[in-house]
Amino acid sequence: MANRKVGTRLFLVVLVSVAATSASAQSFRVQCPTSTITHPAALHNNDAEPAYTGATTLAAGAAGYLAPTANVNGAIKCQQISGGDGYATMGDGTQTYMFSFGPLSGLADIANGQPGTEFPGVFNTVYAGGTPLLPGDPATTDGTIFPLPFTYNGAVGLDYDRDIGPTIIDGHVDARPIMDIGVMNGNIPAPLMAIDEDDEFFLTLSNVGMIMRPDLFEQHTIHFHGYPNASAFYDGVPDASVAINIGGSFTYYYLAPDAGTYFWHCHITPPEHLQMGMVGQLYVRPRQNRVPVGNGLYAALQAQQNDLRTACNSGADILCSNPLPATSNSVGRAPVGGYAYNDGDGSTYYDVEYPLQIHGFDPNFHFVGMTFNPEGFADMKDKYFLLNGRSYPDTVTPGALQTQSADGVKHFAQPLPSIINIPKGGKALLRISDLDVTEYQTLASLGIPMNVIAINAKLLRDQAGINLNYNTNSITLAGGESIDVILDASDTTKYPSGSVFYLYTPNLDHLSNDAENFGGLMTEVHIN
Amino acid sequence: MRAMKMKNTISQTRLFLLPMVAVTLTATAYAAAPGITGPTFNLTAQTAYITQPDGASVYSWGYGCNGTPAGYAPAAITATFCNAMQVPGPTLIVTEGQTVTVNLLNGLPAAAGNTSILFPGFNVATTGGVAGLLTQEAVPAGTVSYTFTAPSPGTRAYYSGTQGDLQVEMGLYGAVIVLPKTIPSNCTAGLAAANLAVEAHWGESDFRLASAAYGHARSCYDREYLFQFSEMDPDIHSQALAQVRATTGCVAGAAGCSLEVATEPYHPAYFMINGRSMPDDMDSNYSILYPHQPYNGNPHMHPGEQVLLRIVGQGRWQHPFHEHANHVRILGRDGNLILSQNDPNSLAGPLLFTTTTTPGQAMDGIFYFTGRGLNWDMYAHKPTSTDPNAKLPCVPDANGYNTGPAAYTAINYYEWCQDHNKPLQVAPFGDVSSNGPVTLPDSHILTNGAWFGGSPYLGPNATVRAVGPTGITPPSGTIANPPSSEAGFAFMWHSHNEREITTGNAFPGGMLMMMLVDSREFVIDESN
Repeated sequence: MANRKVGTRLFLVVLVSVAATSASAQSFRVQCPTSTITHPAALHNNDAEPAYTGATTLAAGAAGYLAPTANVNGAIKCQQISGGDGYATMGDGTQTYMFSFGPLSGLADIANGQPGTEFPGVFNTVYAGGTPLLPGDPATTDGTIFPLPFTYNGAVGLDYDRDIGPTIIDGHVDARPIMDIGVMNGNIPAPLMAIDEDDEFFLTLSNVGMIMRPDLFEQHTIHFHGYPNASAFYDGVPDASVAINIGGSFTYYYLAPDAGTYFWHCHITPPEHLQMGMVGQLYVRPRQNRVPVGNGLYAALQAQQNDLRTACNSGADILCSNPLPATSNSVGRAPVGGYAYNDGDGSTYYDVEYPLQIHGFDPNFHFVGMTFNPEGFADMKDKYFLLNGRSYPDTVTPGALQTQSADGVKHFAQPLPSIINIPKGGKALLRISDLDVTEYQTLASLGIPMNVIAINAKLLRDQAGINLNYNTNSITLAGGESIDVILDASDTTKYPSGSVFYLYTPNLDHLSNDAENFGGLMTEVHIN
Repeated sequence: MRAMKMKNTISQTRLFLLPMVAVTLTATAYAAAPGITGPTFNLTAQTAYITQPDGASVYSWGYGCNGTPAGYAPAAITATFCNAMQVPGPTLIVTEGQTVTVNLLNGLPAAAGNTSILFPGFNVATTGGVAGLLTQEAVPAGTVSYTFTAPSPGTRAYYSGTQGDLQVEMGLYGAVIVLPKTIPSNCTAGLAAANLAVEAHWGESDFRLASAAYGHARSCYDREYLFQFSEMDPDIHSQALAQVRATTGCVAGAAGCSLEVATEPYHPAYFMINGRSMPDDMDSNYSILYPHQPYNGNPHMHPGEQVLLRIVGQGRWQHPFHEHANHVRILGRDGNLILSQNDPNSLAGPLLFTTTTTPGQAMDGIFYFTGRGLNWDMYAHKPTSTDPNAKLPCVPDANGYNTGPAAYTAINYYEWCQDHNKPLQVAPFGDVSSNGPVTLPDSHILTNGAWFGGSPYLGPNATVRAVGPTGITPPSGTIANPPSSEAGFAFMWHSHNEREITTGNAFPGGMLMMMLVDSREFVIDESN
């Protein structure tokens, strides 16, 4: 058990430095500053995304570095997750043991299928419910207290640092709620993360241990897959960096990279930890979403050229993917909906977006993973084929799926449905990623064509500004790849209200749930 | 029967492998894209045993040199050899427009029958041999010649065209590199010339085969690597060996003088890059430890260098090769440059963070790392330090990087200047700036990786200032990327079908290598 009192620490929330005199081992903590160099609270409200009207103004300050002086873009986002274990329910009813991450912030949002990524004003909220957080929450509270659903989205365990002052919030945590909520609370997929370009992202991993495997002393890490120009330190590869031991917290720090569909996973013994379920989704929304309604998208992309960090000059940078379109089409920011990329022409517009993660579970591997038995890698064979951690027909079940784990408590182990609801005449963005560790997977659309707009988090556009998006009815991914697809249902004659289409795998043996030759990698697209 | 490792056995393997790597890797670096030059190549197909890191010695067939080759390239690598059998076969380096002749002697056992070479993408004329299904073949102890003109630059695969399910599995494959006849002028001027000047300052040689991948102005590069992906099912190899032994001395073509090796069902246990599994792939090119596996996979680079990746799929499976740290711009596939349909000066190949290898297919791509957008100074500059290297200036060029002549001798050449002097940590120990966004955990609750440079920062100067010459300790010092001499950013480049980063069921192994981004203090020497 981690100590509740961890001694004198360095604190950052209000950028008050308290001299660190102790080097004693610290345990859990979270980090979510309310003001930083890049997002100074004096210039900017860090609890909202400001409109994008142009590049941030930077000027050299007394400390010798560039800092914003006006027009600050982006905000601060924070999230906490647990690394541990848990159980999920497969499409045939089998309860499957997982090594897994679970939410330790945004609990209510995650249960509602939303990202657990929060602004500081939400994250830094101490839980004030009448009863303590209960093991299994939010499933436990939602299951017993009616009609009051669980609403807390703050950082689990966050508490006042009474060594400093009665109401000081500085990242100090009470370890008890972290263990109560974090143990056996694994999710598949792991908690959803979403940030906006220009955000600073503080992602805290608290390693609560794997209670079903006391023989293991596993560290966990977070690999932000696809992060461009990553530092090795925050890349999450244990061989190339540090890994957090059981009972400790590590806060990963990123400036949001270019918009796109990324994903994340543990990088400890990847064939084992990924197969066992430590895989999650992560996407970055573009600046273009924040352009004031009606303002020209081409002009907004031109404005991004004024900051070398956000510019795309194909002549000088061979790895940038969104140069200005070859011609301006005068499209303005739509009043609703969003864009997948900074396209400058509206070509990546969508009305609704759905993250969809493909994965596979080998039940034999998971069984031996639970029972301390030897694990073989070479003959790993997936038998459950998952979209957001679920197989058909669970894919179309709305809301969070709950599983009673070995602690006798129900947990929302599979919070994310994968049913696609498109408003009549609308467009749906599917952010598809694959973290299968054994084989390639194909996903086909029976009905609405798939318009592939981006691959591996990069807009399909050549260096001359010509869009290379294309229509297809199937896409194939390996583990470690992502593809953005738009399902365009704007033809209401072909796709009338009430119609149902299917996303399914033409790898027909993957339309199964272990011994049942029914189910697998399939879900439904509903036109509402 | 395959060994099923106990969990603790895997851990022991892990512990065993890492020091082994350290012994051979410490403070040296070896890679490039070595091969032999023509335009006439005298090859043989022979048998030999290749080694795997689990101790296995696998009976294999491979192409090798029949006598001394015309030459070796790059010239800066002098400790070369080309034995009569190697896996992959010798990399054939030719120049666009050359007439190339490959004379093949079949030195395989008589029972193995005929053999041949296919050169997909080339218009091949044959001389001698006997007619086979796909091309002219050499009978046992016989010869055949293939002649073609290298039509366009780029990397391509070559492999056996005879009973490929067995012969390619046994190791009969290799790569052809065609260098452009005309180098675009910008590839030897401007930044390309500056990079050479910087290399010269630090005493580094030029290890390239050319300075452009294609005769195109956007295909310039500063460093290059060739990676060939293949897998082996050891059962096939032991069947072949047993049958070859049983038929020793038989006369080619006589009844019973043939092999009946079952190549299905297929259960590969070895997953190799350039014929070696991790960690062997990170030993040097032409290491005497691997007389039949001369090529390695151990990429190093400095920030800003344009790095050409020549990636070839061999064997029979696809492998999702994931490059940590940035995307790869695909220039072309199988020697076909991908250009914008509207502008021949612009590239149109995709940007990928996972470059799937496909059997028989080669691709050329450009990768780089600069650290742009980290939002903290990876060199940990500190204007108030007394160390001159901590106070180096950063003068941005038109693209924001420190590349002017004044920086040629500086360890922060090619630094991303927008983050210059910007701190990472709130209140760090050591001689680095404070008031950054994050607090690092106590090192007692971290586990250090073997390639961890010792601090979040790049290079020995920054790392020693931050944490001292041993890096963050305890629990352990780092061994493969020493804080005081290298302290590079290490990134894992690996198959994302994660079970393929194993060797004979033990993790780590297989298709895995560490790529290191080194600050300029570290001299990248690929010469031995």
